[in-house]
Amino acid sequence: MNKKIISGIGVALGIFSLIFLWNWLKPEDKVNFSAEIKPILNKHCISCHGGVKKNAGFSLLFEEEAFANTESGKPAIIPGNAAGSEFIKRLKEEDPELRMPYEKPKLSDEEIDLLTKWVNQGAQWGEHWAYSLPEQVEVPKLTAKAGFSIENSSAIQNDIDPFILQRLEKEGLEPSPPASDNILARRVALDITGLPPDSTLFQKYTSGKLSYEHLVDSLLVQSSFGEKWASWWLDMARYADTKGYEKDLGRSMWQYRDWVIKALNNDMPYDQFTIEQLAGDLLPNPSIDQLIATAFHRNTMNNDEGGTDDEEFRVAAVIDRVNTTFDVWQSTTMGCVQCHGHPYDPFKQKDYYHLMAFFNNTRDEDTPNEAPALRFYAPEQQESITKINDWVSKYGDSSTVRAYRDFLRFQEPVYKSHSLQDFVNGSYDDHASSVLWSNGSCRLENVWTHGADYFYFNHYTYRPGTTFTVRKDHANGEILTKVLLEKTEEPVTKRIPIKKVDGKFNIHIEISNPNIAKDKNAMHIYWLGFLPNLPGSEQPGFSKIQREFDKAINFKAPILPVTSENPDHMKRTTQVFERGNWLLPTDTVQPSTPAALNAWDDSWSKDRLGFSKWLVDKKNPLTGRTLVNRVWYQLFGRGLVSTVEDIGSQSDFPSHPALLDWLTLRFMNEHQWSLKSLIKEIVSSGTYRQQSELTPETYQRDPENELYARGPRQRLSAEQIRDQALAVSGLLSDKMYGPGVMPPQPEGVWQTVYSGERWVESKAEDRYRRAVYTFLKRTSPYPSFVTFDAGSREVCTIRRTVTNTPLQALVTLNDPVYLEASFQLARMMQSAKDLEEQLALGYEKATMTRITPEKLAALQELYRASLTEFSNNKDELEQFLHFDASPTAALGALTVVANAIMNLDEFLSKA
Amino acid sequence: MEPIERLLQEKLIREAQVKTRRHFIKDCATGLGGLALGSIFLGCDPLQPSSKPKQASFSERDLNPLATLPPPYAPKVKSVIYLHMAGSPSQLEMFDYKPVLHKLNNQDCPESLLQGKKFAFIKGTPKLLGPQAEFSQEGESGNWVSNYLPHFKKVIDEVAFLKAVHTDQFNHGPAQLFMHTGSPRLGRPSIGAWATYGLGSENQNLPGFVVLTSGGKTPDAGKSVWGSGFLPSVYQGVQCRSEGDPVLYIEDPKGISRDLKKSTIDAINKINKEEYTKYADPEILARINQYEMAYRMQIAVPKVMSIENEPENIKEMYGVESGKESFANNCLLARKLVEDGVRFVQLFDWGWDSHGTDHSTAVDLGLRNKCREIDRPIAALILDLKQRGLLDETLIVWGGEFGRTPMQENRGNKEMGFKGRDHHGDAFTMWMAGGGIKKGACYGKTDDIGFLGVEGRVSVHDVHATILHLLGFDHEEFTFEFQGRNFRLTDVEGVIIKDILA
Repeated sequence: MNKKIISGIGVALGIFSLIFLWNWLKPEDKVNFSAEIKPILNKHCISCHGGVKKNAGFSLLFEEEAFANTESGKPAIIPGNAAGSEFIKRLKEEDPELRMPYEKPKLSDEEIDLLTKWVNQGAQWGEHWAYSLPEQVEVPKLTAKAGFSIENSSAIQNDIDPFILQRLEKEGLEPSPPASDNILARRVALDITGLPPDSTLFQKYTSGKLSYEHLVDSLLVQSSFGEKWASWWLDMARYADTKGYEKDLGRSMWQYRDWVIKALNNDMPYDQFTIEQLAGDLLPNPSIDQLIATAFHRNTMNNDEGGTDDEEFRVAAVIDRVNTTFDVWQSTTMGCVQCHGHPYDPFKQKDYYHLMAFFNNTRDEDTPNEAPALRFYAPEQQESITKINDWVSKYGDSSTVRAYRDFLRFQEPVYKSHSLQDFVNGSYDDHASSVLWSNGSCRLENVWTHGADYFYFNHYTYRPGTTFTVRKDHANGEILTKVLLEKTEEPVTKRIPIKKVDGKFNIHIEISNPNIAKDKNAMHIYWLGFLPNLPGSEQPGFSKIQREFDKAINFKAPILPVTSENPDHMKRTTQVFERGNWLLPTDTVQPSTPAALNAWDDSWSKDRLGFSKWLVDKKNPLTGRTLVNRVWYQLFGRGLVSTVEDIGSQSDFPSHPALLDWLTLRFMNEHQWSLKSLIKEIVSSGTYRQQSELTPETYQRDPENELYARGPRQRLSAEQIRDQALAVSGLLSDKMYGPGVMPPQPEGVWQTVYSGERWVESKAEDRYRRAVYTFLKRTSPYPSFVTFDAGSREVCTIRRTVTNTPLQALVTLNDPVYLEASFQLARMMQSAKDLEEQLALGYEKATMTRITPEKLAALQELYRASLTEFSNNKDELEQFLHFDASPTAALGALTVVANAIMNLDEFLSKA
Repeated sequence: MEPIERLLQEKLIREAQVKTRRHFIKDCATGLGGLALGSIFLGCDPLQPSSKPKQASFSERDLNPLATLPPPYAPKVKSVIYLHMAGSPSQLEMFDYKPVLHKLNNQDCPESLLQGKKFAFIKGTPKLLGPQAEFSQEGESGNWVSNYLPHFKKVIDEVAFLKAVHTDQFNHGPAQLFMHTGSPRLGRPSIGAWATYGLGSENQNLPGFVVLTSGGKTPDAGKSVWGSGFLPSVYQGVQCRSEGDPVLYIEDPKGISRDLKKSTIDAINKINKEEYTKYADPEILARINQYEMAYRMQIAVPKVMSIENEPENIKEMYGVESGKESFANNCLLARKLVEDGVRFVQLFDWGWDSHGTDHSTAVDLGLRNKCREIDRPIAALILDLKQRGLLDETLIVWGGEFGRTPMQENRGNKEMGFKGRDHHGDAFTMWMAGGGIKKGACYGKTDDIGFLGVEGRVSVHDVHATILHLLGFDHEEFTFEFQGRNFRLTDVEGVIIKDILA
């Protein structure tokens, strides 16, 4: 063969192999797992190969599962070898029986290419962005590009703006000009305080005497700030004034609501705000306020319906606490994991019960009295309480001090009557008490008496002559006490001597009363409480203190349900429930946090306190992001992650990921968890201050305002709509705090089974309080709020769906509350000199905007129609203004106009 | 699926869509009187091919959340009337005839039945209680019914019975929630809310989901049983009341004439339109639409809620009493509402909790009266719908939240003065009638004393799956994403009860 040819072939081969080598070795774009691959897996694969179903033994939820052997005996993904991976082959199959996704359309070529590339590149599993720590990012440097003028632009007011503008620039959009001063003042006041700005502040700002920064500062220090933002938090805390379920009786929770308002107004750092609510009771020497904060997790519902199992609803409440904690702080739906592994997020079923173990050891047990309940003593009662506590502090050890202090605060720990069992001639009667007949007996297991000489017995003996006997272990056991109980008029707590017994044992309780028939109820038992002996028995004055204590535990006082931890001798074990069913407990688990999140620091106690520290640890990837995202959502009506309830592998990708991380780090580090600083930072941005006007073109370009080329425009919340109507008409009361109020609502709205509770219309200024103080009955919330999308607060609500319905129109048109407000606004309007000015004044007061000629004409027309009608028909006028002694047709007509103003879209929205 | 069936299915879907389209066009034309919104109505037509560029900026749903939507599959019915006997009626005195229980009357209940069971009030060893009513087989179907329901006998062949329904809840509140929302805990949307969310309303002047109550009280679980849960609140049931305003705030304030209200709404909408030219926010258009709708609703609701103008023979047939809150009145109203295109009508009648604590709750006394209150109205409702040709497009569902025990209640472990039965979730009777239902069917069977289902047991989820199926939904596909999870009415369960489908 010709040498030339051979060498030619050689050269050709050489070139060929070089090309081949180059193609093989050239740097190829590395596929990003969490941004490119995980979304495809979540969308197309994971419903059959994930947390719930693992068809063919293949799951794509966790790394180790994805690369494990499937039912075929081989792994489906072979890293570096797409052609040999069943995972890729099945995507390309022509046979519909074999092709994946099964019975669904074939994946697109791009998707298959991406997956192939990923496998060939080694199938590296990445961590989802939501579970990685927020990254330190630089504020973007903007370059003035093609018609994008940023020099001296009002669009840049702080470091938030470059993040927004960078994306706008990329999308070829320009920011909107700033909103006019009046619009902006109204917007920011409604956002910070929930109310329109008061006229002085408004005047000063719009006339240039006050800078925007000072306007924001003066709004943030108003106490109305806490009232506005409390509504947001209380939705998540599922705060209500009733217990829920069938009877839905009232409960006294308002001290917690007031705590939230105060904490927000004091700008309590969010980490502290978190710890106090989740574990205030476990802090060293908790203050009363820190105990009040723990009512957060007592907002769970309580079932008082006859015949319900307290344990079932206690468990339901604990489950709600786990779910709510993760909904509120982690943007994670833990509810899924109760029954099975999470369908998309990296949480396993066992994780749920490990978490539940943190929450499963509180004293509450779904009893109607809502124990443990913090007691608020009157000053003279408090004097006595202080005296007792001082005595115990002086003579007792620290655990005795704590035991007495807690018992006086919330009368726990006690053994409740539903723990009694083996009834003879008696039964548990569903009303937090057990009933014994004249010769009844029952048993209580595993009692620890502290080795004390007496115990406390809450009971109701409504007949004289009842002998009460307690025996050790069984009906023939050693008698520990035998006393004759007096007749009582109501449930009382009595101190009863008992023989000293060490360790845990069972007690047998029996009663007899020869004076009454056999099957007649003789006594109700509510609880038995054991405390160490009162210390200082040798000291002078001891018996006086003992008497003082016996009296104090019977003090009547208002209460607030709070959280308190089981003492060691009453600890519950936590078990995994099969398929989430509490009747099918399996493995016992200890408290721990999910492996997918931040690591546990061993210096933390394995209880709610440690858990809450874990939650606000700066290494938790979700707590800061969640809060920042939700505050952003409150202000813009959209989150940086649009799924505000979910930040995880199934959530939307952030519209501005770098901004989310930057703001999160800034919130935790520079702002040191200060909510007010965060809010100030966001409302100070040029992004927030833009005008919200759009055109059909800009609307079509970005209907959801995901890019922020304009300012926010949304309908106001239920609370804001009412508060604003009362504010502009001068009716709004600025009274703060206290029990829920009952402003007028239509007759017959409250209709509840087995409950004599009524809607008693509040008097005087209580009719005009801010909406946050309105009594909220879960099964029948204030009707006009519900119409405007406020919830019933039965469970945690992260986002209220905003609707637009005819029933809303009926509220603002016909509800007497709005008519009264309209009438008051009309009277203010009368102060202007002529009709034109009167109409303009009313419009301006309500919307803080100058009226246009077209709008004025429309109002004039309405005014004339009303005036004619009322002039010709005095009866109608008198009916309409029935609360006015001598109504004029002019005032009637102005009232109609004022009502129309309160129905305008611009009044009901912030622009 | 067979090709023929497939064709049939497609035909039905087409028809449903055309019908919807007609409604839709009508609403577009008349709904926004005088406003030239055509150009903005890009997304108005739900039938527009979805491949069109995304410029279809907002759909008709954005403007009107109750806009009619076609169901994904061919529906059998377009509306539902759900009759709920709150408190739970005794199947053993009404439909589930148990002669053996009669023989065992007053004998101790065998321990084997009580093992591992939980009851609300029964303690210790209760006694069995024989049926307190007399039973007969009626109609061509020969299905059993008691003498407590003489009128119902005449329509028994229209009905399909489910004799072995079961629930895992035995307290009223949670059981009612379960029956209406598919979950015993609060927070989920009710079945009526799901239906209205999925289908919208046929009548834009009335709420899509109406609730009527009788018996003096609302259900134990409160308004949550017709709540919207995590669905937008517009889909929750609107309680229409017999006293006061039928719908809250529907009446104009005293002294405001209809003309003046019209002028007010005109002025509001004129200004809102002005505002729209500035802000171009479609929410403003939606609001304009809602105000017009509110005005029309103020006329339509009182009209449909008044039974005054019904002919005497109809009033007589139902046994209505004007001006009172009664189950009979509510049945007549239910007919009027579905006739006017309301999607879901929910009736709650309170007072069926026959524990035997007094005369009114005794299964041989009070229960008989309760049956009398519903007997004629239910028969009338079925016949009235039938004579109007509406029965074929309406589904009627009847039931309680659970059933009652074959044992006599012994509250506090004592013998009680009246004969009563405790709550019982393991086996109870429900029935359905109307479009898509196999007439005269009887599915499921309980044991000799009616304690457990032995054949054809169906769960609450199965009942839901069946109702959704009849409305044209696949209950497994009909989901709503909330807090990161896709929720279904039937959760992860539910099997369509094919045996009662025509």
